[in-house]
Amino acid sequence: MRKVLFYAPLALFLVLALFLLSGLFSDPRERESASLNKALPDFALADLMQPQHIWTAEQLKGQTFLLNVWGTWCPTCNAELGYLSELRAMGVKIVGLYYELPRDPAFDAPFDLAVLQQDVTQKLAQHGDPYQFNILDLERSLALDLGVSGAPETFIVDADGIVRAHHIGDINPQVWRTKLAPLYQQWSQP
Amino acid sequence: MVVEAGQLALTFAFALSVLLAIVPLYGSFVANQRMLLLAKPLALGQFVFCLLAMLALIYAFRTSDFTVINVAQNSSSTLPWYYQITASFGSHEGSMLLWVLMLAGWTALVAQFSKALPLLLQGRILAILGIICVGFIAFSLFMSNPFARSLPFYPVEGRDLNPLLQDFGMILHPPTLYMGYVGFAVAFAFAIAALMSGRFDSVWARWVRPWALAAWLFLTLGIMLGSWWAYNELGWGGWWFWDPVENASFMPWLAGTALIHSLAVTEKRGTFKSWTVLLALAAFALSLVGAFLVRSGVLVSVHSFATDPGRGMYLLVFLLLVVGGSLLLYARRMNSVRSQARYQLFSREMLLWGNNIFLLTACLIVFLGTLFPLFHKELGLGSISIGEPFFNQMFYYLTIPFALMLGLGPWVRWKQQQVAPLIKPFSLLVLAALTLALGVMATMQSVQANLALIGLLLGAWVGISALAEVALRIRQFGSVSKGITKLNASHYGMTLAHIGFAVLVVGVAMTKTYTTERDVRMQEGDTANVAGYDFTLTDVYELDGANFGGQAAELDVRKDGQYVTHLHAEKRFYRIQRTIMTESAVHARLSRDLYVSLGEELPGDAWAMRIQVKPFVRWIWLGGLLMSFGALLALADKRYRRKVMPTLQTGEADA
Repeated sequence: MRKVLFYAPLALFLVLALFLLSGLFSDPRERESASLNKALPDFALADLMQPQHIWTAEQLKGQTFLLNVWGTWCPTCNAELGYLSELRAMGVKIVGLYYELPRDPAFDAPFDLAVLQQDVTQKLAQHGDPYQFNILDLERSLALDLGVSGAPETFIVDADGIVRAHHIGDINPQVWRTKLAPLYQQWSQP
Repeated sequence: MVVEAGQLALTFAFALSVLLAIVPLYGSFVANQRMLLLAKPLALGQFVFCLLAMLALIYAFRTSDFTVINVAQNSSSTLPWYYQITASFGSHEGSMLLWVLMLAGWTALVAQFSKALPLLLQGRILAILGIICVGFIAFSLFMSNPFARSLPFYPVEGRDLNPLLQDFGMILHPPTLYMGYVGFAVAFAFAIAALMSGRFDSVWARWVRPWALAAWLFLTLGIMLGSWWAYNELGWGGWWFWDPVENASFMPWLAGTALIHSLAVTEKRGTFKSWTVLLALAAFALSLVGAFLVRSGVLVSVHSFATDPGRGMYLLVFLLLVVGGSLLLYARRMNSVRSQARYQLFSREMLLWGNNIFLLTACLIVFLGTLFPLFHKELGLGSISIGEPFFNQMFYYLTIPFALMLGLGPWVRWKQQQVAPLIKPFSLLVLAALTLALGVMATMQSVQANLALIGLLLGAWVGISALAEVALRIRQFGSVSKGITKLNASHYGMTLAHIGFAVLVVGVAMTKTYTTERDVRMQEGDTANVAGYDFTLTDVYELDGANFGGQAAELDVRKDGQYVTHLHAEKRFYRIQRTIMTESAVHARLSRDLYVSLGEELPGDAWAMRIQVKPFVRWIWLGGLLMSFGALLALADKRYRRKVMPTLQTGEADA
C-alpha cells in the first residue's frame, strides 16, 4: 500500500500530461453554444423598422435562415454586411437581430428609435442590406437566451425553428465556404 | 554583428550546458574527481555566455535594429530608452532568454556557494541544473530564437512595445517573478541529488533551506509586483483576477510556502522527509507547468504569449522527461526512506503538517480551478469557465482555519505540547485580538460586515500572537537586551512573515468589504462625492507624449472642505499599436487609496470617470513586502553560513 502511494504523484502527473497534450491540439477560444440543437427560445420582439409588428419564434418557422446578431456600433458587423448581401443575392434568407448596447441612464442619451432607424438605414445603404427584416432586441433578452457573447454572431436556424449552428465572429467567404455553407445546405434539405 | 555575437554566445552556453549535464554526472558514478570538479567552471562559463547573449539582445533593442524580428515586433525608435531595455524581455522570445539567464545565474550561484557540500553531491546538483539548462537553452535557440533576422526585407519602424507593458512595474515584475520560478530549480536539483544518493537528513535540509527561501522570496515579490502593476495599469482598481497565468505563479508559491515549512520540520526533527522531497519536486514542476500553460496556448489569458503548437509540444515533452522522470525516481527511491521521529497529536509537527495540508489543498483548488475548463472540454463535456466567485469562496473557507493554526503554531513545542500552560497566555491573546478587531470595526461606517470582521479578527489574532511569541522568546534569554541579539535571524524572519500574512488578510478583507466605487459623468467644474471625499474635475486637456497622445484630467480632492490632494488621470492612445490605455490617478495612504480613472468622452463636453475609494488596499502589498523581508531576514541566519566559513577564510567565496 505504502509503495503504491509513492507512485500516486507520478500517476496524477501523467493524467495531467495527457490532458495537456490533447489541449495542445484544440482551440481554447472555441466554445460550444448552449442553444445548439434546441428550439429558438420564445420571444415577442418588435420589428426594427415597423415597430408595430411583433415577431415571435413561431413566425420564423418554415424556411432555414441565418439569424445574424449585429449593431451599427460594431465595425466588424458593418464590414460583413457586404458579403452577407451577396449571400442574400444567392438566395440565403438572413434575419437581423439588432443588438443594442446597454445604456447607462447617467451617461447616455435616452433611447430614440427614430435616430436608430436613421442610423441603420444609412449603414445599410452604405454597405448593403442583407436582411429580410430586423428584430430589435432592445433589452438583449433573446440574445441572452441564445448565449450571444458579442457581435457579430450568426445562428443557422432550420425550418422547424431548431438552432443548428452558432458562429462567433464575422462571416467572410472563407468561413462561409469551409464552415457555414455545408451546415446551411445540410439543414436546408427538406 | 553584435546580434550574431549574441547568437554565438547562446550557442556556446548551450555547448557548456550539455557538458555540465553529462560530465559531472558521469563523474559522480565512476567516482572521478576531476570530472566532478569541472562542474563549477562549466556552470560559471555557461552563465557568462548567457549574460553576453542577453546584453547583445538589449543592444539590438537600444540601437533599434529592426532587422531583428523580435526588435521590430516589440520596440520602436520612439520608445523611451528604459522601455527599450525592458522590451527585450517583453516578448515570448526575449522572456525565454531572460528565463535562461536566470536559470544559468542560479546555477552559477550554486556553484559559487556550495563549497561546503560534499563534492559528489555538488557535482550531481550542478549536473541536474545543467540538464534543465540544456532543455531551456535549446528551446530558446531552436524553437524561439530571439536573434532571428528578417533580412533582406525589414521594416523601417518597429511595431512598438505593448502599451500594457510600458510601466515601471513591468521593469521589475518579470525578472523578479522568473527569479522565483527558476529558483525552485535549485531545491529541485537538491531533491533529485538526494534521491540518487538516498541521503535525506537534517544536514541536507539545512543546505536546501536557504535556496528554497531565496526562491520563495523572489516569487513573493514578483507576484506582489504583478498585482501592483495590474492595479495601476488595468484601470479598474482590481489587484488579483484569478487569471490562469496569475494562478500559474500562485501554484508554485503555495507549494513553495509548504516546502519552506516542511523543510523546517525535516531540519529540526529529521522527519516529513517524503513530504519535503515531494514539495521540492512539486514547486519546480508547477513552475514548469506554469511556463507550459503560458506559452503553449492551452488556456486563454490576457498574459498568454502568441501561441505555437510546436513550442507547446517541445515544452510538454520536456515537462514529461523532467517531471515524469523525477516523480518516477521519487516513487522508486522514497519507499525505502523511513522517518524515525515520534510526535504527539498536539505538537508543532502536527500543526506544520496541518499547514502543509491547507497549502496543498489551496494549491489543488487553484490547479483544478485553472485546469477544470480544459479537462471539461477535452472530455467532450463542452466549454465552461470558472471565475472569481469559486476561488474567492474557497479561499475564504481555507484561510479561516489556516490563520487560526498559524497563530497557534510558533507557540507549540516540538514533539509534544501540554495544553494547560497555554491556556492563560492564549485567553489573553484571544481577548487582545477581539478588542483590537472590534475597536477597528467601530471606526468603520458599517459594522454589519462579516468579511471585514473575520478578516480583522484573523489578522489581529495572527499578528498579536506572532508579536507576543517573539517577546516571550526574547524574555527567555534572561534580559531583553540580551534576548534581542541572541534570538536568531530566522526567528525574526518567521515572525515578520507571519505578521505580513496578517496584514495581507486584513487588507484583502477590508478592501473587499469597504471599497466604494462610482461611475460618474463629469464636466469641468463638476464635483462628485464618493465615500465622503469631494472630487472636483478642474481641467481636461490633450496629451502629447513620445509615442502616445490622449487626454489628461486634473482633479482636486477635498474632504469636509479641507483640501486633500490633487489627482492627475490619463487616458493614453498609443499611436503605433493603436491601443487605448488608462493611467489611473492614485493617491495612496496606509488607510485608503483614492483611485480615479478617466473614461470615454461623452456628448456635451463631459467625461465618464470611475472614482473609487479603497480602504486598506495598500495593506495587501505591504503584507507581501513584509513576507519577502521575513524571508530575507531568515536567509541572513548565521546557521546557513556556518559551514561556508572555512572557505570564506580562504578568500575564494568573497566575490
